[in-house]
Amino acid sequence: MAADGGSFSLGLPCVFSPKSRQYLALCAQDGRLRIWNTDIKTLNQEYVPSAHLSATCTCISWGPCRKAKEGPQRKKRKSDAGQVENQVDLLALGTAAGSVIIYSTVKGALHCTLDGGHSGGVNCVQWHPEDCLLYSGSDDTRIVEWDLQTGKARCKWKADRASVTSLCVSPDGKLLLSAGHTIKMWDLETKEVYRKFTGHSTAVTTLRFATTRPPDSNGLYFLSGAAQDRLLSVWQVREDGKDKNSVVSFNLTDEPHHIDLLTSSSKDEAVRLAVVCKDGQLHLFEHLLNGPCKKPLSPLCTVQMTGVEDSPVPVPLLAVALTPDNHSLLLAYGNHLQPVMERVEVNTAERHVCLTRDVRTTLSLNMETTVSKVKTPVGNAKSKVLVPGLPGHQAPVKGALGSEKRKGTDAKEMSIEERLGKIKMSPEKGVKGAPSLQTDNYAVLLVQGLESKDINILNKVFHTRKDNLIKKTVALLPLPAVLPLVEEITKRMQGHPYTAVLMVRWLKAVLMQHTSYLASLPDLVFQLGVLYHVIESRVKMFHKLSKLHGKLYLLMTQVATSGKEVKDVEHKAKLVYEEESSDEDNASGDEGLPDEDSDNWEEDETMEDEAEEGVRMESKVNGDSDIEPGNESEEE
Amino acid sequence: MVAHAEIRVVHRGGSKINFREPVITNDSRFLLCASGESVKVYSSSSEECVHDLQGHTDLVSGIVRNPSNHLQVYSCSADGTVRLWDFTDGILIKTFIIGYPIYSIYVSENHGGVVFVVVPMANDKSSELFQLVAVHLPRSEDQEVEARELSAVLCDVRPSGAASFGREGEYIAAAKGLQLEVFFFKKQKSYRFFLKPGNKKWAKNAFTCVSCHPKEDCIATGHEDGKIRLWRNFNQKKEYTYSTLHWHHGAVNTLQFTPEGTNLLSGGIESVLVQWRYTQETQMDFLPRLGGAITHIAVSPDGSLFCTSHSDNKITIIQSCVKVSAVIQGLVKGEGVRTNLMIDPRSKALVLNGKPGHLQFYSLHRDKLLYNLDIVQQEYIHEEGLDQFEVVRAAFDTRGDWLATVEERTQKGSELEINLKMWAYDEKTQSFVLNTTVTAPHDDQITAMCFSPSPETTMLVTISFDGHFKAWLLADNSDTTAEGASWSCDFVGGYHLLKPGCCCFSADGSLLAVGFQEVVTVWSPSWELLTTLSQPPGAIRDLCFGRLSCSKYLLGTSTKNQLCCWNLLTCSLEWSTPVDVSLLQADPLSENMAAFCSQSGCSDLFVFKPSEPLPLYSQRALCTGKVQHAVFAPRDQMLESCEEHAQWLNRSQLYFLTQHMDLMTFSTKSEEDRLLASSKRLMVDDSVAVTPFYLLLGKHRQQQEALTNPMAERIQLPQGSIAIKELLYTPAHVLPSASFLCSMFVRSLLISSSPAREEKEPVEEEMESEEEDSEGEAELRDARQDLGGSAAWGPGEELGAPALTKAQERELRRVKHFDHSWLSSLLEC
Repeated sequence: MAADGGSFSLGLPCVFSPKSRQYLALCAQDGRLRIWNTDIKTLNQEYVPSAHLSATCTCISWGPCRKAKEGPQRKKRKSDAGQVENQVDLLALGTAAGSVIIYSTVKGALHCTLDGGHSGGVNCVQWHPEDCLLYSGSDDTRIVEWDLQTGKARCKWKADRASVTSLCVSPDGKLLLSAGHTIKMWDLETKEVYRKFTGHSTAVTTLRFATTRPPDSNGLYFLSGAAQDRLLSVWQVREDGKDKNSVVSFNLTDEPHHIDLLTSSSKDEAVRLAVVCKDGQLHLFEHLLNGPCKKPLSPLCTVQMTGVEDSPVPVPLLAVALTPDNHSLLLAYGNHLQPVMERVEVNTAERHVCLTRDVRTTLSLNMETTVSKVKTPVGNAKSKVLVPGLPGHQAPVKGALGSEKRKGTDAKEMSIEERLGKIKMSPEKGVKGAPSLQTDNYAVLLVQGLESKDINILNKVFHTRKDNLIKKTVALLPLPAVLPLVEEITKRMQGHPYTAVLMVRWLKAVLMQHTSYLASLPDLVFQLGVLYHVIESRVKMFHKLSKLHGKLYLLMTQVATSGKEVKDVEHKAKLVYEEESSDEDNASGDEGLPDEDSDNWEEDETMEDEAEEGVRMESKVNGDSDIEPGNESEEE
Repeated sequence: MVAHAEIRVVHRGGSKINFREPVITNDSRFLLCASGESVKVYSSSSEECVHDLQGHTDLVSGIVRNPSNHLQVYSCSADGTVRLWDFTDGILIKTFIIGYPIYSIYVSENHGGVVFVVVPMANDKSSELFQLVAVHLPRSEDQEVEARELSAVLCDVRPSGAASFGREGEYIAAAKGLQLEVFFFKKQKSYRFFLKPGNKKWAKNAFTCVSCHPKEDCIATGHEDGKIRLWRNFNQKKEYTYSTLHWHHGAVNTLQFTPEGTNLLSGGIESVLVQWRYTQETQMDFLPRLGGAITHIAVSPDGSLFCTSHSDNKITIIQSCVKVSAVIQGLVKGEGVRTNLMIDPRSKALVLNGKPGHLQFYSLHRDKLLYNLDIVQQEYIHEEGLDQFEVVRAAFDTRGDWLATVEERTQKGSELEINLKMWAYDEKTQSFVLNTTVTAPHDDQITAMCFSPSPETTMLVTISFDGHFKAWLLADNSDTTAEGASWSCDFVGGYHLLKPGCCCFSADGSLLAVGFQEVVTVWSPSWELLTTLSQPPGAIRDLCFGRLSCSKYLLGTSTKNQLCCWNLLTCSLEWSTPVDVSLLQADPLSENMAAFCSQSGCSDLFVFKPSEPLPLYSQRALCTGKVQHAVFAPRDQMLESCEEHAQWLNRSQLYFLTQHMDLMTFSTKSEEDRLLASSKRLMVDDSVAVTPFYLLLGKHRQQQEALTNPMAERIQLPQGSIAIKELLYTPAHVLPSASFLCSMFVRSLLISSSPAREEKEPVEEEMESEEEDSEGEAELRDARQDLGGSAAWGPGEELGAPALTKAQERELRRVKHFDHSWLSSLLEC
């Protein structure tokens, strides 16, 4: 299991809660203690120590996990409540004024303050892993052992000549490491120096036991890091006392700011170590501790983080927590006022990992959720909307195409024919181009528009409502221009209903004039498939709409007969009809149609049949796609 | 089957916290609420559960503060006991055995030693009639006390929420149906008031809740039509009056007066907390958008905090300035879970339907709701009988990069509206981003949906009652548009126009099985129908591919009590058994499968490997009713369990939802032992209640203490000492000289501190002698020196006392012989 959250005196204190890593406690520049929930990545609590400006918080340490309840052991029943993971509760904060504050995260309030132990600022606090004891080291060169049951200092002793900068209690709770001028190992029962280690020239900021004490005492290791020191040293506590020098050292890019390590419990298990340096980089190490190693070890993997700006700015990492499963890391990054927490899967096979994160947007998203417990995912305008009829909503009629492709050869032939046709067309076009100079021929305009994809010309052409003109124009259209026209129509049909209304006339005309040509195309289904889906989906509601129209018509006529003016209402109804019918008039449905437009409609119907032919044909092919696989299976 | 004592079925939290009215403690620091069979103590500021008071053996049905001790609460339960708790330490103090199931509890300050509980009518326990009885709690030192002294107060009351004590406990008001009953304790008489049935429907005028004004004779009642009536002058049958307030459009669920009676709070389905000013009822304050129908309101005794329970298993803590300060949210329980249970691969949270239109993410490790993800993104209108968009299906892909949701709105007699939304998890912003919305993806309800687990393609398959299944493919069409990857339909498939019911991908994504009624079709990724499997009769209900070493098997359950296992290599039936499997679930991390079978109203569980004939584990009578939803949640750390039948729980844990929406799981003994071993109670003294004032004054006080400490003995002076009085109360200008006074003063102090009575006399004498000759001897300013020198006085005394009687002489001698060292040492210290 990972060691309990440590603390350090340089930089701002920032510690993950032990074991489940549910919280990140962080004391920012403004002197407030903030506790962030790493699950939801939101601010959980904020606490302002009453003297937060004068007595700033210098170090934080999470207390051991709290037990849910210790009552009389009841007989367990079948539907007993399951044990939930233990909750973390208490947090010890050392202040620059020399007091230690115990804060309860469960109650969200100050638990108690421990006063009068130190005359100088507290540099580090450490919980005893088993008993209700707390150790604090201070600038006044003393270590105080607090009894938390009484809230009084139980023991106080001078530890060093210089101020005590770091402490660490061994996992079994029997030894205490302190760092001042030298690193000393104390026996906690007798409060006597057990060992002394010298090596660092600057203030030691980090002390951590790397192993639990094995039965044979040679296997106890701890590591230390110091200010302005780019090496982490590992020391071995040997039985014979020949442990004056560090055995292993780890190479860093800057002084260590935050350390997390998974202690190895057995001899042949490597220690996993994650170090966040002052420059915001994270280094991961894995090393099997078994005696001295001459060369400083370099990291297994280095993780950096950058923003998304044009010139990427490195985002500093604040803290890291290792997880028992080998791959993921819990990272905290950004600034201290609003850190971002994230569980990342890091591929340790790569030596350098660079993660890109948009820190600014995450910041803005954070605050609201805390009270309402609702997270709103980003739904921006970029997201695509597929309505029935748009390509992508239905499967592309690929299956049919595939089946045609299986036929293979004739498709190729057709393409050659097409090429021939193209060759033929070009002189024709040239011929036709000449008269177009004299008359403003719509067909010529349309061809030009389709070739140049000039929206202005196309708009001008397509905006006509005269059926005769449309018919003539389409009739005059050269064959190679038909397909682009169909494509253009398809595109416009998917747009706003108003333009679609206009396009229906054109489609009708095209289908009437060029059915034979279209039918000869090999990829007809593919070309018209989208169009088919659009029409299909739009026509789907036609029955209901026409029913509604009929009902409304009935209603309106009754209102009209009972009302005063008949003519006025009639006129109105007519208007309503024209709008709707023209919207849908390419469809086959014809019930509930009033008589007024009958002459107009009959004309439509003839075209409709033509149009339907195309549609029916498509539907047949499409049906193929659905049924064919089934047939195959039956054959099998 | 063998009973496996090591594996237990346990509740995994998520129990209801809105069942009964919560209670706020006197200091507003804690909030207590009934939650299943326990009482939970929450911190009102941090939303964390501080204690879980366990002891009841049935549903806890009410909590009240002990009016005589503000650190204790009573709780009652359907197990027939009332228990007294110390909630700060979480200790059960006493158990009173009543003997009848209790449905609610009321107390009043003015009725000491009595609790009022609602129990079923005595003669027949099965009846739906309830009565309010007073129970005298016997004073006894025992832990368990039988309280059989019951006296009926009111007959025919509602089981909960419709009774309230009036001013100074003089009367109790209860409402049921169309009748309000007020019982006066002094007169031992009750008055009944009836309302006419409403004009249109009978139910509209009925009472829903009652609250009495704490200071005045006024009863507020809520009604089903949304009206609030304020009753006055009800201590007689005839001339009672009432005034009507009307704001709510739905039934008034709850009413509560603030402790001083200045405000009346009401809430209903609108999820708006309304605060009415008493006597100025036209002025109202509203706190809207509380997110769910309000079921209970509680007010702290000092009136500084309100809290409202909501129908979505939530308690909102509101400051009296009508501002939400905290939300305690349990597992949101709607009418049913329409999405299945899922595990978010990223956060390892359980995902299911949450608030209307939301997906909730629930942390299984912490038993805590993480958040609700707003899928529909439309304002939910809190009103009955509205059809609004609901999330009906959701699916995660294997890495948690994609979330697909289906939302649906059904209205009677109109077209079904369905939206399929694909959400991408954006690592840069750490949130889900909407990628594609498909409106009307199918013509009919989508029955199932799953992502392909294959790492190469990102594919989703939806199947629907319209007889088709559709495959949606993530296509990177960045060449055509600048939008990047988006989803589009890749394939539409069907089989003889049969309605598909379920689908499943094999573990590597190379096969898709779709169950079309009686026929299972197996498709390849290129959408060729590879084979069909059929085992009539009975439509296919569930399909599951085997994993790992059993990946050649496909398992299916049918409605006609068949569990079939096909071998995909031979395309033949490997085995089948006649069991009615309601749910089949595969463990993603092992070969194991869990099958929940329903048999005679109960659910059984079988865990098996498809390749082995014998089940690994079986548990009969798991719970009543069918199990419809279950999920395997991977563990953080692999358990190392050596018992053979518990090994299936090593890699992942099985969670399931019962019919009553309780989330249950299986826990092994070794796991519990591990949890117990790793935890120990941390006792930390928290007696220091530190306030900013304390910090300011505390220092000062400490200094004072430091000053006074050396003279600690002197503090014990009797205040009535004449000398002191003289010194303090005589005006300064009439006082004798300071030195004279000083010695007298010092003497007076010395006397008082002398332990033995006999020593009083000599010192008194000394004082007398002092009075004679102490002029100008010392100065008051240097009191200490003076005191120090007092030892030297002794010899001087004799000189200044020429004439003494014999008796006096004798006395004096005695004094001289007496050891004065104690005195000098006392003075020096």
